[in-house]
Amino acid sequence: MTLYHFVGLGVVLFAIGAAGFFIRNNAVVLLLCIEIMLNAVNLIFASFARFLYGTEGQIFIFIIMTIAAAEAAVGLGIIIALYRSHKTLDMSLIKDLKG
Amino acid sequence: METVIFCMLSAFAVVAALAVVFFKRAINGVISLLAFMLTLAGLYVLMGAQLVAFFQVIVYVGAVLVLFAFVIMLLNLKESVRPLISLADVKAATPAVLFAVGIVVLTWLALQDAAFSKAAALQPVIGLRQIALDLFTKHLLVFELTSVILFVAAVGAIVISRKEGGRP
Repeated sequence: MTLYHFVGLGVVLFAIGAAGFFIRNNAVVLLLCIEIMLNAVNLIFASFARFLYGTEGQIFIFIIMTIAAAEAAVGLGIIIALYRSHKTLDMSLIKDLKG
Repeated sequence: METVIFCMLSAFAVVAALAVVFFKRAINGVISLLAFMLTLAGLYVLMGAQLVAFFQVIVYVGAVLVLFAFVIMLLNLKESVRPLISLADVKAATPAVLFAVGIVVLTWLALQDAAFSKAAALQPVIGLRQIALDLFTKHLLVFELTSVILFVAAVGAIVISRKEGGRP
């Protein structure tokens, strides 16, 4: 159980979240994938704080958690507004932005 | 013993994360994410960051995921008619999977000659007292700014999600 194990796990989880973000179409699942990525980064921060001995890693985690909560609130608000205007959450059917 | 627990927790975390991506219904994804968050809390306890584990359970499981479940139930989503995995989806997913593999490979290469590789041994656990001292002295400004961000986000979420011209 070394730093590499924890960082490797965090990177794998981040990759799963990133791939899921591009694969899925449901807007709620996209937000869930963002949460996976944020948690993977948190795990990496915690492991660096543990193995390199510093308090900054854990303090960063608290800040990231706050930002994640704010992001979830705003994101879910956007989803509700999106559902009101389009009656669907399938991102492949929402083409107003011409992306 | 710790290694066994770490292996079990990490395998469970990876499976739960994959379940979030591959479950068809969003509410199943939320439940899988709940399992994922609790597994991460276990990993935090394993590495001696109990405070982070408490916050993980309270903030993520207690607040964020409940918000997700609440919104999904509020919206009353219909089942998607499209199959979860079709040939077009596989084609579309190939760049995403390549991107994910690229992240893993690049990080692995970067870790090979990182400056900290020699120091990667277990350090003594950081006490709660030290964390609190640093948080409220060195990082006090950031700590206060997060309250502003939370306030702005709460007001913004209400403004975004209310009906046009109506009351929230």
